[in-house]
Amino acid sequence: MKKIVLLLLVCSVITSPISGCIGEKTPSEKVVLKVFHAGSLSKPFEEIENQFEKAHPGVDIQREAAGSVLTVRKITELGKVADVVGVADCSLIPSMMIPEYADWYIEFAKNEIVLAYTDKSRYADEINSDNWYEILRRPDVKFGFSNPNDDPCGYRSQMVIQLAELYYNDPAIYDDLIEKNTAMRMTFENGTYLLVMPGSEDINPNTDRVMIRSMEMELISALENGDIDYYFIYRSVAKQHGEKFVELPPQINLGSVEYKDMYRKIRVKRVTGEISTGKPIVYGITVPKNAPHRDLGIEFVRFVIGEKGQRVLEDLGQPPITPATGNGNFPEELVDLVREG
Amino acid sequence: MPEPDIKDRISLIKHERVLILFSLIGFFILAFIILTLANTILTQVLLDLDGFIKTTRDPSVWDAIFLSAYTAFLATAIAFVSGVPLAYVLARENFIGKGLIEGVIDLPIVIPHTVAGIALLTVFGRHGLIGQFSLLRFVDAVPGIVVAMLFVSAPFLINSAREGFESVDPRLENVARSLGASGWRTFCRITFPLASRHLLTGAIMCWARAVSEFGAVVVIAYHPMIAPTLIYERYISAGLSASRPVSVLLIIFCLVIFVILRILARKR
Repeated sequence: MKKIVLLLLVCSVITSPISGCIGEKTPSEKVVLKVFHAGSLSKPFEEIENQFEKAHPGVDIQREAAGSVLTVRKITELGKVADVVGVADCSLIPSMMIPEYADWYIEFAKNEIVLAYTDKSRYADEINSDNWYEILRRPDVKFGFSNPNDDPCGYRSQMVIQLAELYYNDPAIYDDLIEKNTAMRMTFENGTYLLVMPGSEDINPNTDRVMIRSMEMELISALENGDIDYYFIYRSVAKQHGEKFVELPPQINLGSVEYKDMYRKIRVKRVTGEISTGKPIVYGITVPKNAPHRDLGIEFVRFVIGEKGQRVLEDLGQPPITPATGNGNFPEELVDLVREG
Repeated sequence: MPEPDIKDRISLIKHERVLILFSLIGFFILAFIILTLANTILTQVLLDLDGFIKTTRDPSVWDAIFLSAYTAFLATAIAFVSGVPLAYVLARENFIGKGLIEGVIDLPIVIPHTVAGIALLTVFGRHGLIGQFSLLRFVDAVPGIVVAMLFVSAPFLINSAREGFESVDPRLENVARSLGASGWRTFCRITFPLASRHLLTGAIMCWARAVSEFGAVVVIAYHPMIAPTLIYERYISAGLSASRPVSVLLIIFCLVIFVILRILARKR
């Protein structure tokens, strides 16, 4: 008995490197194209994946969704490689990836912040674009937003709430909704508002009134379960998940280029000291410098900013930018689809 | 009588050969574990000792580590009080559906932790099956952390305790009973002490599994932050250089606790 066990062990040790070699050769001959993208791009990129793979039968697209900041960090810090990177805030590419990991990016889609809810939400039958902040003030209402330190949707939600003060001419909105329920603070200097975020562990939320999660997509289940009544989210995500939502006025929803001067009055300082200035929501896409399949990556970007990709975005509630805007040293394969920014 | 002597020696040499071979094989798994952990720790100590020292003085890091240790202890205590009796029944009785129950107990080990977290949220959330009647609040609160840890770690304790009770010969219990000891007294004086090493090992594994849990906890309770959540947060918001010293501190903290507990377990 002992001999048999020993023999088996020795055999397995000896043969394992060999079987390993065989294993490496067997996977299908398809080219694997890695796409890292923001959580809010999950649905459109899923659909684009299907269409792209149909058009390119030799390609297997593998997507990884995460918060936009994490998506970039996977490449810059964890040493992972991807062929395409799509983020919910295009400014992350110049600030975190250029020049070492990328030398161009394309602005390809817009979005706006809405306040999503369901039929079960308290006061769902009362809420509208004029009274939403009054409803959120009520003590029995619980609302959610993502962590401003981690996630563009998080700091954008903060901007929207502060912008609401200006638009509705009610200087207590940020105070009532955020400062009274968290350790986040607003300071006013030289005509601009600076929202200062503490360390994530020190946000100290009043959990009767607010729920914070790292990424905006993590709040979807909390809304469905009725653990929160409302949350700040991208319009496209609310639409894709069949949620009801209050449309916020263009002056505050970060969706309109027309009001960019108004958005600029708000800045958010994250725990790292980085400051984001309010501006219209623009999604960015690039092919990293160290992409294993650069040409195919560019082909994928072409698809996203081309007619078919734009229709997918449009259908899923996310307005594409037509034509897409190219920044930096973008590849000539894209010249015909891109307007220089 | 030289013959048996030689036989003994041959078998001894054979035994030693097996030991040497097994040690060589075992070296690989040990090297794999040590390399991964030591690389993390050494990179930190050699390249950024200042950052590590700064982290050891950061009260919010210690708050998170102690919260992890404390909530894991609560989860282990609940698992112990409710799991040990169940383990005893499973070890002693055969009944229809026993296999099913044993399968159910193992289930939390195999299901993805995010799924566990969402399932817990639907039970303990504001409108959940239990959450809607409960006076305790679970979402974003300590009880939420404890139930998430309990769910994923209880199987380790129950399984270990069951093995422990199975290793106790029922005849010993019968002798005690025949000498007039009550069932309760027999359990306390005979069965429990004989199984205690398994119980302690099970409790240690249960606690350890609870401390390491992230996926299920973060769904139901993002705040207050346990150590794994804090490490994840620091990584996302400020990057590897901010999260690694916290990881190293947690590894060292757990190593110290583990070594102490293992020494205690051996003494018994």
